[in-house]
Amino acid sequence: MIPVEHYVILSALLFVTGGIGFLVRRNVLVTLMSIEVMLNAANLALVAFNRSRLAHDAAQTYSGQSHTGQVFAFFVIAAEAAEVAVGLAIVLAFYRLRRTVRSDEADLLKN
Amino acid sequence: MLSLLPPPNDYLLIAVILGMPLLGAFVNGIWGNRLGKQAVRLMALGAVGVSFLASVVAFISLSQLSETEKGAHVRLVWNAWEWMHTTGGHEGAIVPIEVKFSVDQLSGVMMLVVTGVGFLIHLYATSYMENDKSYARFFAYLNLFVFSMLVLILGDNLPLLFVGWEGVGLCSYLLIGFWYETPANAAAGKKAFIANRIGDFGLICAMFLLVEYTGALDWNGIANGATSLVHPGEPFRVHVWPLGGGHYEGILSFLQPHKPFTISAATAIGLALLLGCTGKSAQIPLYVWLPDAMAGPTPVSALIHAATMVTAGIYLICRLSFVFVLSPFTMMMIALVGAGTALFAATIAVVQNDIKKVLAYSTISQLGFMFLGVGVGAFTAGFFHVFTHAFFKACLFLCAGSVIHAMHARIHDDAKAQDVRNMGGLRKWLPLTHWTFAAATAAIIGLPFTSGFFSKDEILYRAFVDRTVNPEDGVGLLRKLGTYSPPQWLGPVLYTMAVAAALLTAFYMCRLYFLTFWGDFKGWTVGRPSLVSRQELAQDDADHAHHDDLTTPSYAPHESPWQMTVPLIILAAFSLFAGVLNPGFGILRERPMDHWLEPVFKSATERAVLFAHNNDAAWAEHLEWPLALGGFGAFAIGTALAWWVYVAQRGEPAQRLAQSQPGLYRLVLDKWRIDELYDATAIAAVDSLAETAAAFDKSVVDGILARATAAVVAALGTVLRVFQNGIVHVYAAMMVVGLAAAGWFFSVPHPNATIADAGNDDYTLTAAPGIGYAYRWDADGDGKPEKPDFGNSATLKVHVEPGKSQDVNLEVRNSFGLVRTKTIHVARPQEPTSSL
Amino acid sequence: MNTLGTIYFYGLALLALGGAAGVVVSKNPIRGAMGLLLLILSIAGLFLALHAQFLAAIQLIVYAGAIVVLFLFVIMLLGPSAATPSDRRGIVVRIFGGALFALASIAALWRVVAVAMEAHRELPMPQPDASFGGIDAFGSALFADALVPFELSSGLLIVAVVGALAVARGRQGQASMSRSELDVARSPFPKEAVRELPELTSGVFSHEIHLPEPEETRVEAPLRGAASTTPLKESAS
Repeated sequence: MIPVEHYVILSALLFVTGGIGFLVRRNVLVTLMSIEVMLNAANLALVAFNRSRLAHDAAQTYSGQSHTGQVFAFFVIAAEAAEVAVGLAIVLAFYRLRRTVRSDEADLLKN
Repeated sequence: MLSLLPPPNDYLLIAVILGMPLLGAFVNGIWGNRLGKQAVRLMALGAVGVSFLASVVAFISLSQLSETEKGAHVRLVWNAWEWMHTTGGHEGAIVPIEVKFSVDQLSGVMMLVVTGVGFLIHLYATSYMENDKSYARFFAYLNLFVFSMLVLILGDNLPLLFVGWEGVGLCSYLLIGFWYETPANAAAGKKAFIANRIGDFGLICAMFLLVEYTGALDWNGIANGATSLVHPGEPFRVHVWPLGGGHYEGILSFLQPHKPFTISAATAIGLALLLGCTGKSAQIPLYVWLPDAMAGPTPVSALIHAATMVTAGIYLICRLSFVFVLSPFTMMMIALVGAGTALFAATIAVVQNDIKKVLAYSTISQLGFMFLGVGVGAFTAGFFHVFTHAFFKACLFLCAGSVIHAMHARIHDDAKAQDVRNMGGLRKWLPLTHWTFAAATAAIIGLPFTSGFFSKDEILYRAFVDRTVNPEDGVGLLRKLGTYSPPQWLGPVLYTMAVAAALLTAFYMCRLYFLTFWGDFKGWTVGRPSLVSRQELAQDDADHAHHDDLTTPSYAPHESPWQMTVPLIILAAFSLFAGVLNPGFGILRERPMDHWLEPVFKSATERAVLFAHNNDAAWAEHLEWPLALGGFGAFAIGTALAWWVYVAQRGEPAQRLAQSQPGLYRLVLDKWRIDELYDATAIAAVDSLAETAAAFDKSVVDGILARATAAVVAALGTVLRVFQNGIVHVYAAMMVVGLAAAGWFFSVPHPNATIADAGNDDYTLTAAPGIGYAYRWDADGDGKPEKPDFGNSATLKVHVEPGKSQDVNLEVRNSFGLVRTKTIHVARPQEPTSSL
Repeated sequence: MNTLGTIYFYGLALLALGGAAGVVVSKNPIRGAMGLLLLILSIAGLFLALHAQFLAAIQLIVYAGAIVVLFLFVIMLLGPSAATPSDRRGIVVRIFGGALFALASIAALWRVVAVAMEAHRELPMPQPDASFGGIDAFGSALFADALVPFELSSGLLIVAVVGALAVARGRQGQASMSRSELDVARSPFPKEAVRELPELTSGVFSHEIHLPEPEETRVEAPLRGAASTTPLKESAS
């Protein structure tokens, strides 16, 4: 049995990696992919905790075991798919405007 | 018939009396231009006419009520609504201020005068202002004035009177500056308003004092509380020096008097009200606006500055007579101010050349007579003079307007058209105007058996014979103390000043009459057509043609239309015959007006106004004929002198006198240079204060406060703008900083505890909860916790004696294993030792 | 069994970390997308270990099958422009942000690990049913307890589709400028602008983007960005 703490630590490391990628990289596409990494890390944590706490009070419908974490992760995937779609559309529009995908070219709000 | 009228305590007809002029003002003001002159005329005259008829009906109701009440002080009251309330009196009781109107004997007479004379003047003005381009505006203002004056008269409490007071001041400003395109007119309006306002300051202070000392602002309430105004005890005296009852020490101790100087509240209120009345009624020191006010149209001068507005001051003194008599000092001041102004203004009127200016100074002088009358306690005499003065002065002004109207057709320059030196012999062409002017002049100079004769003589008689004392003197609280009593020589001095003023009045009025209507017309060569503008030439018609041939007498001055002459006739008739309402002289012993007004002034004059010489009524009666002779003599000598100088000698003695004393002549012609004195002193002081304030505003407020704060904000903005460089990474980095700080805050435990009193000298300390918190208490602050382990006990009870304190340490550990400590100081205050 | 499970976990964990590192580090966005794919597959495997079979399947279908493919489409569309040459501008801020984040996270992680290790105990892990994580169980949880969020998420997806369409399509016939043209338009002397040919080469499926033909290039083209940057630039100076 892998203790749940291991999963959580893994999730944390993935999250940190994704976060660093988001903060450091300038390429908008890489930024978006880093966001994916972070969200996946969150999903992992959710599912891990769900596995370790099966008797969550608020949602016990099927044989007394709650699937809250997994359902939550499901919605995260759905929302995040929508986000990726719109984000990439924005990247395309941005590219059409500036002919580049560097985020520091998007400085129209300067000062 | 009486049953058709409203009951006396809810007399809705008052709403009609007030509402009609207001409606007229509103309609004419807003739609006047679109309605056309005919409709405007109708609306204005209809409004004031209906108001007059309603006033007559109200007066009749009042007289019937007075009969049934057998001579008590009756009122027809209409309480519209409660306006506001304040606290007052020494117990801080609630003082309601209502919009409440009442008609009693005093305001009933005044109401009739205002609406009646107002109607006649409206009629006159429909023709006088015929060619004016702001016809509707004029009548809107005039109706508004009548409304404000009625509010002033009919108001049942001081704040409502003040509303009317301010309203008439406003209308006066609007109407004086009616032709505002000329800067001089606008300046005159401003001067009138500002002088009035200075007086209003006195009125407002009086209101504050009244509500504080008597706890009421309506006439009934003030009368009930009036005894507290003369209370000699401490909270009821007004501290004049040291100011406000303080005590000067230290640096200012040289200002401290040996004994504090206090005056009674009645004196303070009386003097404050006197300031207000001198402003409104043009007495010394605030009379300077009235001569300038002649810049307005003549009907305005007649209505506002002769008949009604300027008498508001005397009306107020009559209204609050029971307050004024409580202070003999104030009564003396009123009488002195009145007599002094009468004499002073008469001297100026003697040398003026503008017909309206002479009448203006005459008004000031006659108002002085009224003040003299009420100042010596002869309230009915003073008020009767108000009544008669309204008629003859309005008549005089309207006649002057008629004369100017005639002169203006020939002489287009305003100043020259009004100059008496260009007139003369007008009785040939203006017969009606001439006779009415003569009638009004006869009244004002006191020709025996005219109305002016009776009213003026009564005042002269009472000035000599009366003596005012404090009615509470020797009674009640004032039994042991003395009060101020006017000196014995006051009566004769006042009488002498009044007789001198009457003499001068006769002289200058006759001078004016002779110069205008007798002799030869001197205006033939004045008024060159080249001065007439092209626009006015285009407006000429047969009546008002500006002819070009100036040497022939064929284009003579002409009489005015019926709208102007009928009011003149009516007013002249009243001037001559209104004396029947209050003769009381010699064989005509009847005094109807005195009887009518007696209930209003009884409470005031009962114990306050006595005869001099120890209240010797017989002595007073013996003096009646001699004093009347003095008045008659003044009239006779003045008239004879004027006839001799201006008719017999054709004005030569006056010329010689003027040439021999050029300095004095110019000084009196310049109104004793009082305006220049005010300019140099008071106005210069205000100007320099204004300049100082402007400099302060520009340098300190603008320079430092406004610009400095703007500069600080701009600098801050410049600094902060660096952070907003549009680059997402920078923003993301800042988000991380915030996140780290928040994360630090949440991952560190925060110890805190609330203290609750548990009774029995115990305090219960409850620690603030948090996720995963474990607590460890140290109840006596010695560094050693009670239990060595972190537990879940979040409360602790400590026993603290009164006056002692204790330090309790609380350590908190959160899930991350971090520990924080806080020291809580628990103290119990001492028991209170007294229950004060 | 235990050893197999441990190897399975650690193997997948390492792959996941490697994939994440690949996303973050690689210059070539295709490499990054491949790293993302590796991550997703590893996570799916870990879901399987956590008795979340249905979710693992969903993960593979949606993430690997749709999202990564979408990324790849866009990268292909952008062509060489998808890879930005690295330069040192703004490196300080980025390093600062990243470093601070990393430090804060490591500090938090350390605390947590320290406490967990202190406690010397592990959370108990109950044994789940056979049906746990399967379609039946998941479906009933989804449609019974989470019906409202489910419906709302369908609305969200529709909105996202519409939004993506609207944003990605842009205005028909709108001219766009190349890099050098932008520089010229931003300069203070626009009148002396020299017409330059766009240096761009098109990507693989780039005929959907309205690349300007050389003769269509206009300096005075109404470009939203340039028109508003010029005054800003002048006022900022």
